[in-house]
Order: sequence, then structure tokens, then C-alpha cells
Amino acid sequence: MRRVTSTWLMSAVAVLAAVAAPLCMPVNIATEIAIYGIFALATYLLVGVAGLYSFGQAAFFGVGGYVAGYVFINTDVPLLAGLLLAAAGSAAAALVVGMMSIKRTGIYFMMLTFAFNQMIYYLAYSWRSVTGGEDGLGGIRRPDITIPGIGTLDLSQHLHFYVLAAVLFVAAFAALYQLMHSPLGLILNAARQNPRRTASLGYSVYRAQLLAFVIAGAASGVAGALFAMLYRIMPIDAISWTNSGTAVFMVIIGGMSSVFGPVIGAAVFIWLQGFFSLIWARWPLLFGVFIILVVLFLKGGVMELFERLRRLFTARASAKTEAAAPTVAGKEGGA
Amino acid sequence: MISLLAAQVLNGLAIGMIYALTAFGLSIIKGLLNVPNFAHGAFYALGAYVCYAALQLGLPFAVALLAAFLVPALVGAAVEKLGVARLMRGPYLYQLLFLFGVALVLEQLIIIIWGTSGLSATAPEWLQGAFDLGFTYLPKYLVFNGCMAAVTIAVVWLMIERTRLGSQIRAGIDKREMAQCLGINVAGLVTTGFALGAGLAGLSGGLVLPLLGANSTMGAEMLSIAFVVLVIGGLGSLYGALAAGILVGLIQSVSSVFAPAASTVLIYVAMVATLMIRPQGLFGER
Repeated sequence: MRRVTSTWLMSAVAVLAAVAAPLCMPVNIATEIAIYGIFALATYLLVGVAGLYSFGQAAFFGVGGYVAGYVFINTDVPLLAGLLLAAAGSAAAALVVGMMSIKRTGIYFMMLTFAFNQMIYYLAYSWRSVTGGEDGLGGIRRPDITIPGIGTLDLSQHLHFYVLAAVLFVAAFAALYQLMHSPLGLILNAARQNPRRTASLGYSVYRAQLLAFVIAGAASGVAGALFAMLYRIMPIDAISWTNSGTAVFMVIIGGMSSVFGPVIGAAVFIWLQGFFSLIWARWPLLFGVFIILVVLFLKGGVMELFERLRRLFTARASAKTEAAAPTVAGKEGGA
Repeated sequence: MISLLAAQVLNGLAIGMIYALTAFGLSIIKGLLNVPNFAHGAFYALGAYVCYAALQLGLPFAVALLAAFLVPALVGAAVEKLGVARLMRGPYLYQLLFLFGVALVLEQLIIIIWGTSGLSATAPEWLQGAFDLGFTYLPKYLVFNGCMAAVTIAVVWLMIERTRLGSQIRAGIDKREMAQCLGINVAGLVTTGFALGAGLAGLSGGLVLPLLGANSTMGAEMLSIAFVVLVIGGLGSLYGALAAGILVGLIQSVSSVFAPAASTVLIYVAMVATLMIRPQGLFGER
């Protein structure tokens, strides 16, 4: 019961953030944050919850983007069907990659996901007739959605498209939160900490991890599809290993301690990217330096920064009360 | 057809030796740190560009190759000392991300210094021309390239198998704590190993410069090839890196005759096929 309430509470926070976002920043930036928020949440499910250090998530982001792009360019399917197809394509790719990789653990798993990422990259690179090769897949349309009784969402308008992305983001957020506290989430958590003991309790670690991998793949695919629709082009760069690293980095920079971490990470990253790319064409250099600094000096990410600030202020506050009324503070400290 | 095929086989052997050399360096670093080096491709590209710069300065080719080894080795030592070593205690994800950041920085620095357009350099005069084998021609540079890679691999191998430093490195790879207890300076050893691995990647870059030129995407390409070579060969096996490197070079080179479009993807197909039959790689244990 408490879990269900807290899911509602957390989702309410996510909804509030989603409503506030376009008021604080350009709509397209807010949309990209929502999209990368979904991507980072999916990566967090693997890296943070399941302890599967995947460096190949861009592959599923890419498959989703290409499937949606191809379908929306060449057919008349409605939006929802296109998104479902993208999710299904990515899930299928994730199933194959997961089956090949998950039995290998640790570094081996990471290297395999990376290598499969590159495989799909070069596949997209060489399959020009479908993917557009290095030019990317351009001219992707954004079909309208009609909700009976409410009206039509005209996605060619940026704000309407943001609403779609934000709704999907909140749904992904609530789903991940619910999943983390479901039996599957608990098995994943246990398997991350001690796979052997979890297996000996009778749970199939492999099946749980494969399921998580497929779910994360499908969600990454939806993010990729939205990304392709946002820019109306699916660039080949979106599949490159750098994008996989970005997803992992978003999780780290936000902090792995809670579901809010990856979302904050995505927001900080997209915002910084916009800022860096405005001042310098060689912004990945600044991004690289930023990664190095965070990894060296702020391992807990932004969440840790909040925590440190909070401690700093509470320390100051308690020092003040102590100076003002030492006996009371002393009593409180003792109790 | 026969002569074309023979030429591609020879070409594949030469490129395969380069792959083996690069994967060799990656394997040493992976063994010491238990972390794959995401900056490996950047060191490889750095080697090629340093070699190019040295040739532009009018330095002899041998000196340029030496620089292609030394500069990435020094950069590698600094990267290890200043970053990777500090992250030794935490989860390896942080080391991975650190190296990812280093790769981005190096890649962009190379673009800032040398631009995005491809550069090329010619081999020195004594390496130009080709031997006539009757059924095909064998470019002299291919022979040199293959021999240099083979000699370097042999030297590093002997160093690891026969010298005191080598046995310390092996001890550091197998039982880090025990090596430490025996008074081996493991921290210094890891720095040396990292520098050696980065240097080997750089040397590979220098060697391919006259063959393939230098361009801004070469690092990312080589990184994924080296990963594939390691996965096919089996992690931790130096034999595996050698055999799989040559195999991947041959697959790529020969397939480019029959299916040019598929040749980049075929090595990944080879990787998947290997994993289906032997999940631990060709020479891997476990």
C-alpha cells in the first residue's frame, strides 16, 4: 500500500517537473531533456538497478529511431503504432544482444554490449537504402494524434510535441519506479549484490536480467523514436558508442542512489551540451573534461552535491544554534 | 582473380598484424587494470598523427615511428597516474567513464591540432616499390609493416615471459595483493603497463599511416576492432589477441573482394559466430 502511494507521490513530482520545464527553458530543450530522461531511466535500470554495465544502449536508441523514421516516412501508420513498432524493434534487438551477452559477466558483458553497439552502427552505416547511411534518415514526419473526446494533438507544434514526450517520460518514470519495487526489481537488486546466492534461492538470474535488458531496450527505442521525430532526422551519430557512454554518464552524473538521479543527469547533460555547443564547435572536449572532473571529484553525482550542500547548511545552522544556546543544542545532541 | 585474392590475403596479414599489435596493448592494460581501455583508439590515432607531424618536420621514418610509440606512452602514463590510479578502489564503472572522457578529450585535441580532413604520408624511398612474386606483387611496405609488428610483438612477448619486469607484470595481473606483499611496486608496474599498452597502440597508428593515412574517425574504428579481436581471441590470452588479430584482418581484407559493403560488418558476424561456439573466445579460459 505504501509503495503504491509513494509511486503516486513520485509521479506527481515528475508531473510537476514536466509541467514546469517548458516555462523555464526553450521548449525544444525541455523536449530533449524528456527524451534523454527516458533513455537515462532505461540505462539506470541496467546500470544502477541490475548492475549490468551496458555500453551499448545507443544501439537500441538507434534501432528505435530508424524504425520509427522509416515507418513514418514510408507509410501512413498512426503515431502510436509507429512508436510501438519502434519499441518492438528495439526489444527484439535487445533480446538477441542480451541472449548473447548476459551469460558473460563484468568486463566481458560490457565489451560485448559495446561490440554489438558498433556492429549495429556499421550495419546502419552500410545499409544506405534503409537508413540513409552517413547522411542520416531525413524528412521524418510527426503524425497527429486524435484523442476521442479531448481533441487533436498537432505534433508539428513544438509545445504539443513536448506534451507527448513529457507524458511518455512521466509514464516511463512511474513504470520504472513501480518495477524497481516489484518482484523483478527485487530479484535484480539481489542479483546485483550477490548473484550466486540469488540463484541458489531458486530465482533465474539470467531470465530476470534478460527481461530487464529487453525492457530497457524497448524504452531506449521509444526515446530514439521521439528523438528522430524531434529533429525530423535520424542521424547516424545517435547510434555511435559515444551516445552509449553519454547514457551511462547521465546516470553517474545524476547519481545512482535514486530514480531522480538519471533524470537530473539527463537535464544537466542536455543543458550543458546546449551551453557548450553554443560557445565552441569542439564542445565534446569540454564535455570530456567535465566527465573527468565529475568522475574524479564528485563520484556521487549531483545528488551528492545536494547532500553535501545540505550537510554544509545544517552544520552551519547547528553551529549557530550551538553558539546561541549551547546547553539546549548539547541536550539535543545527546538525546 | 588468383592474384587479386593473393594480394588481399597479403594485405589482410599485414593489417591483421596491426590489429594484433593494438589488441596486444589493450590486452595488457585490461589484464593489469581489469578495465578495458576506452582511450585505446585515441592513443592509436595519436600515434598516427604524431608520426605524420614528425615526418612533416623532416625526421627519418624510424624516428617518427619511435615518436609514435613514445608520445602516446607518455600520455598514457600521465592518464594512468593522474586519473585511473586514483579510481582504483571504487567500482570499475568510474575508471571506464574516466577513460571515456580521456578518449573524447584526445579525439577533440587531435581535431583541433590537425583538422578533420584526412592526411596521408608516403613511406620512405627504400620502402617504396614491390617485390614480384610471379603470381602477384608484394609491396615492400607491407613486408616492413608486417615484420615490424611481428618483431614488436615478439619483443614484448619475450619481455613478459622472460624478464624480471615481465614476471612482475604477470604477477600483478594474476595476484595483485600477493605481488604487493612480495614487495613489488604494483602501482608503478600498472603505470608502466598502461604506458606500454598505449605505446603499442600508438606504434600501430604510426605503422598504418603510409598504408591508410590518418583521419579523425580512425580511433573509434580501431577501438571497436580491437574489442572484437579481444572478444574473439579470448580475454587475457595474448595468443588469442595474436591469432584473432590476424583472423580479423584476413576476414576484412578478403571479404572486401567479394562483398565490399558487408566487409565492415563481417568481423562482428565472426565475433557472434565465435561466441556461439566458444563463449570464452578462441583461446580464453573460464
